[in-house]
Amino acid sequence: MNLWRDIKGTLQPFWITLGYLFKKPVTIQYPEEKRTPPPRYRARIVLTRNPDGTERCVACQLCSAACPVDCISMQAAEDDDGRRYASWFRINFARCIFCGLCAEACPTMAIQTTPDYEICNRDVLKLVQEKEDLLIDGCGKDTEYNYYEHSGIGVANERGGNEDEYGPVDPKALVP
Amino acid sequence: MFQFLRLEYKGLPYRWTQHDKRIVFYVFLRVSVPPWRIDLKMPKLTIDNLEVTVPDGTNVLEAARELDIVIPHFCYHEALGSVGSCRLCAMMFVDGPVKGLQMACMVQAQDGMVVSSTDPDAMELREHVIEWAMTNHPHDCPVCDEGGECQLQEMTVAGGHGVRRYRGKKCTFTNQDLGPFVQQEMNRCITCYRCVRTYRDYCGGTDYGVFGSRNRIQYGRFQDGALESPFSGNIIDACPTGVLTSKPFRFKTRLWDLQEGPSICPHCSLGCATIPGGRYREIQRVKAGINRETNGFFICDRGRFGYDHANHPERPRQARLDGQPVTVDAALLAAREQVAAIASKHGPDSVAFLGSPRSSFEASVLLHDWAKATGSLQLVYEAHQGRDRAARTLAARLGKQVRSQEELRQSDLVILFGADPLAEGPMLALAIRQAVRNGGKVVVIDPRPVALPCVAKHLPLPPERLSEVLMALGKNDLNAFEADERSLLESLVEQLKVAQRPVLIGGADLLGGQGVQALCSAAEQLSSEQRSVGVITMLAGPNSYGGALLSGHGPDFDSVLDAVQEGTVRALVCLESDPFREARDPARAQAALGHLELLVSFDSTANLAAQRADIFLPTRANAEMAGSYVNNEGRLQAFLPVIDPGVPIRETGAGNHPPREFFQTTPGSAPEADWLLLAGLLDRKLNLVELRESIERDHPQFAGLSSITAETTGVRLTARGDLPPAEEQELPHAATAEALTLMAITGQVGSRWLAHLSSPLAATEPQPYVLLHPELAAELNLATDERARLTTHFGHCHVIIRTDEKMLKGLVMVPQLWDTALEGMVPGGLLDCRLEKEVQR
Amino acid sequence: MNDLLISLILILVKLGLIFGVVLSMAAYLVLAERKILGRMQMRYGPNRIGPGGMIQPLCDVIKLITKEDFVPARADKWIFLFAPGLTALTALLSFAVVPFSPPLTLFGREIPMVVCDLNIGLLYLFGLSSLAVYGVVLGGWASNSKYSLLGAMRGLAQMLSYELSLGLALVPVVMTAKSFSLTEIVMAQSTWPNMLQHPLAFIIFMVSITAESKRTPFDMPEAENEIVAGFHTEYSGMRFGLFFVGEYINLIVIGAMTTVFFLGGWNGPFLPPVVWFVGKVLFVAFLFIWARGSMPRPRYDQLLRFGWKVLIPLALLNVVITGAIRLAMNG
Repeated sequence: MNLWRDIKGTLQPFWITLGYLFKKPVTIQYPEEKRTPPPRYRARIVLTRNPDGTERCVACQLCSAACPVDCISMQAAEDDDGRRYASWFRINFARCIFCGLCAEACPTMAIQTTPDYEICNRDVLKLVQEKEDLLIDGCGKDTEYNYYEHSGIGVANERGGNEDEYGPVDPKALVP
Repeated sequence: MFQFLRLEYKGLPYRWTQHDKRIVFYVFLRVSVPPWRIDLKMPKLTIDNLEVTVPDGTNVLEAARELDIVIPHFCYHEALGSVGSCRLCAMMFVDGPVKGLQMACMVQAQDGMVVSSTDPDAMELREHVIEWAMTNHPHDCPVCDEGGECQLQEMTVAGGHGVRRYRGKKCTFTNQDLGPFVQQEMNRCITCYRCVRTYRDYCGGTDYGVFGSRNRIQYGRFQDGALESPFSGNIIDACPTGVLTSKPFRFKTRLWDLQEGPSICPHCSLGCATIPGGRYREIQRVKAGINRETNGFFICDRGRFGYDHANHPERPRQARLDGQPVTVDAALLAAREQVAAIASKHGPDSVAFLGSPRSSFEASVLLHDWAKATGSLQLVYEAHQGRDRAARTLAARLGKQVRSQEELRQSDLVILFGADPLAEGPMLALAIRQAVRNGGKVVVIDPRPVALPCVAKHLPLPPERLSEVLMALGKNDLNAFEADERSLLESLVEQLKVAQRPVLIGGADLLGGQGVQALCSAAEQLSSEQRSVGVITMLAGPNSYGGALLSGHGPDFDSVLDAVQEGTVRALVCLESDPFREARDPARAQAALGHLELLVSFDSTANLAAQRADIFLPTRANAEMAGSYVNNEGRLQAFLPVIDPGVPIRETGAGNHPPREFFQTTPGSAPEADWLLLAGLLDRKLNLVELRESIERDHPQFAGLSSITAETTGVRLTARGDLPPAEEQELPHAATAEALTLMAITGQVGSRWLAHLSSPLAATEPQPYVLLHPELAAELNLATDERARLTTHFGHCHVIIRTDEKMLKGLVMVPQLWDTALEGMVPGGLLDCRLEKEVQR
Repeated sequence: MNDLLISLILILVKLGLIFGVVLSMAAYLVLAERKILGRMQMRYGPNRIGPGGMIQPLCDVIKLITKEDFVPARADKWIFLFAPGLTALTALLSFAVVPFSPPLTLFGREIPMVVCDLNIGLLYLFGLSSLAVYGVVLGGWASNSKYSLLGAMRGLAQMLSYELSLGLALVPVVMTAKSFSLTEIVMAQSTWPNMLQHPLAFIIFMVSITAESKRTPFDMPEAENEIVAGFHTEYSGMRFGLFFVGEYINLIVIGAMTTVFFLGGWNGPFLPPVVWFVGKVLFVAFLFIWARGSMPRPRYDQLLRFGWKVLIPLALLNVVITGAIRLAMNG
């Protein structure tokens, strides 16, 4: 038992905390001062558009399946050209925990997280946002991807018209 | 030693090989052991170090499934059998009678087999096979309806194929329009042949098949057009990936969001197992459930696409009292008090109770209890007199002769008397087809051109002579028949003599009470000690049999109508039935029921009774409640709720997002299960378990009710009903010289109320038509597809002429079609009519 | 106007003064603690409500009063409701015997600056501190919660154990003053504060009183990272507030006790005695807050072992030595 060490160990923290008492706090005074979040920060969720301006979301429900708090709901519908899209799409930001799993699950790069973290509102209904609130005019983080160019079922282009496809076969042809 | 077996082969002495000797020895052993010494072989094999004993004839894939070892596979299906074409179920046979890498579905389990599903070679093969299957598969899972329940997705993950290596171009195909039920996306096809095996082999469809070769294989019809088979929806279930998906369900919901549960189909009396799925307060699809005793693995299109009546926009969801919306409790109280008031004022028999073949068995029992508590003897379970009498006769007569669908599939001789399975119980037609595939024969004795998905002999006879045939067959006395009829009947008698498992099938519409009586008697007379002749009768609804068991000696609805007309019956309680349109003579019913003082209706659809009721109580649709039905063989089966009722979000949101207001209660959630309403009315505040127990206590003949659970094969009730009171002999229909005889029938589509309310099926309903023999059409100077004017005592209507060679010659047939001019053509009776060519103006 | 009535009015005035001063001090001690701890951790502490967060205590009180007063299911309801009051009450009652100034002469009357100068004031304090154990034990037991019960058990064991060393540490002080009266004890320190006369007793007293008052680092009864909040886990609203206020009144009581027993009470040069007294009390309170910002919590068994095996023998030894010295000096 090293008494001297114990006494020192007991008194030293007092000296250190006393020192800290006179240092300038590191707190950022939020409403007056704001910090710039990094670009990949996970805050407000948006729906992006394809490079050609069409909606990227195909309402595949993977985001709502991935969502651990069930804050995303939607209904899929079919357009005249066979394109699947969300007839309505709702995110309840009052429930959202900003985990970003929806953006990770999205196969079409439609749903993305942005650094806009100032979402708070006293009216809960304003936090329940519909497709028109979520949809932005832009591609977000990926400026080139267009899902239907790669899907292989001929919505954006003619059937068999995408670059990695042959044209439709003729099953009644007699060539072996 | 084998000297006595010296044989010559092409003039030379045959050299017996060791193998030949072994075969002879085994044959000798088998022959020498008497049959009662051969014990049932139960091979015992080892799969992944676990031992399992299975019945002889089981393949290794099934044996592994017994151990909960899932072997990836596409082409194998229990009902379709194994073909070994997908090469995915490879397993390594380490030791035993078979060795090496084999397809598990193609190898029968044998004693001493040691099998490994995790062998590196087998795993590698599976990985390559799945990679191969995936080479041309598009990357469109996000927009594919199969996503979430895609066997290809699962097998790709299970097979270990993660990263695509093939960098070449993919094959693409053109899609076909396969009609209103099935959506095709041919690019996704992995050529497993399951759709063709289901559609052509199992269901007997002829208009769908496979074209081309190698990587040009295309499945489809010769040209675009709706699939003809009434079982076409089964290829949706069969397809392991998203090539064939449901069109009404297109883009509606992912599997993981769907609330599903085991249910029983409410559309006919066969009691097939179904799995409805619902989301956002609407039933969105129905999948085939598995019940090996009834439907097996498939269901008909009526059952599959007939779910939409629960989401009907006009469905009444609010209790009403004298036209004013009230709470359910208030309406219940009013119903109880007003019924009691009328009963005390005018005597108990002034209140009549009309049950329904589509209410749950529990509710039917409670209606019986209510009638008993009131003291009324006016209790009927079916508004249609003929169907009611048929069901009650069947419930009284049926004993050991009753047959299930599974027994029908094993039958070797099926005789249909006045039964049109595709109209009255489509899955029975599929069972008959399986009987034919197993080597059975089918004979149809019917005035209608009964279409079956199999080969059948057909003898057109007028409906009133069906009973005559049955009696003649039973007594083996065919003298009353004409020569051409007699030849077929004589061969039938011969076949009946040798058949081991014959089944007689009747339909309630044509046979009526007397016909069913004759059918049961014939079966009894034809039965011998060696074999029993089975009977199946198709009734009107899922719980016709249950209602018939409860009817007792009560009157039929026509005599209730008489009493209403006379004024002795002043109040009518309708439990999910529509006496205005379902009675045998709707015109008479509507006239009589106008005299009622009080009409109480419990219903889940907007039928006339619900619209005109003084007191209306909304009930739940089949998929929204728990309960049970007794099917046409007396099988009691339970079903469970899938969703709670409410106005679908599709409607409240008008296609856009759901409204941004919030309520304490769901809009349109007032409907309650029919049995719950009746239990509340009778002050029996019970849950379903307690209710079933109390029914068992009060009605000992329904023992077993409290022990049934959903998703099982159900229990067959041993209870017997009572025969209906003797029927007043109706005068035989005498056709006047000028007029034709018109017979109303149940059509394949459009004749069933619930199915008619379902929009996917309603879209396929035909224009009003009449069916007649081509010769008769020629006599009347009418051509097929021509428009004609049909005149009956109801008035005129315009119909389209259809002809069929198999029709009875002197008869014109017209289907009952709801919400058309043919709505009043209730099956079961003959009318006079005139049919004239439409005059072009 | 008779004498009795004047005495009564005086007592009531003193009571009112003490009540007002102590309660507002307790409230602002909360704020002070939060701000000091914040600065020690390079934060600001509450600074949003009022200038520098000065209205924060008021808001806290309003919040606590308006919150739901929740009684857990199957709690022993009456005891549960009564326990927080006991804690706050015992803490407040302690002030009856604390002298904060020499007697004042006003209109020819000598007014003692103490509510009640008991000649056994020290024993009275001990009695109240023993009673305070009940607040913890009953509150924890009545909550019908395992965390509360664990906290209460810890509190009981810890407070009983450290009461011994606390008492023994004060024996030399009593020996010096030859009285149990707190006023006498202060008078006795007019030249030298007891802290310098009895340094060992002072250290033992400080450690024991920390454990006795359940302050960090000896706050095992409410160790929030093991047993949620210990004996007051289930309390909400103003009942929790009473426990909370009780704790901070206790802090002032400790400050006053330390001042009276060891720091010489109101004695001091230049400034008026009351200022000296209050200043010393606040300094002691600061010491405790400082300790909270600096010391980690020991393990529970370590605490009890230290109390029984180190502090009590040391305190006994201290008593013996002090007694011996006094005997030798006085002959």
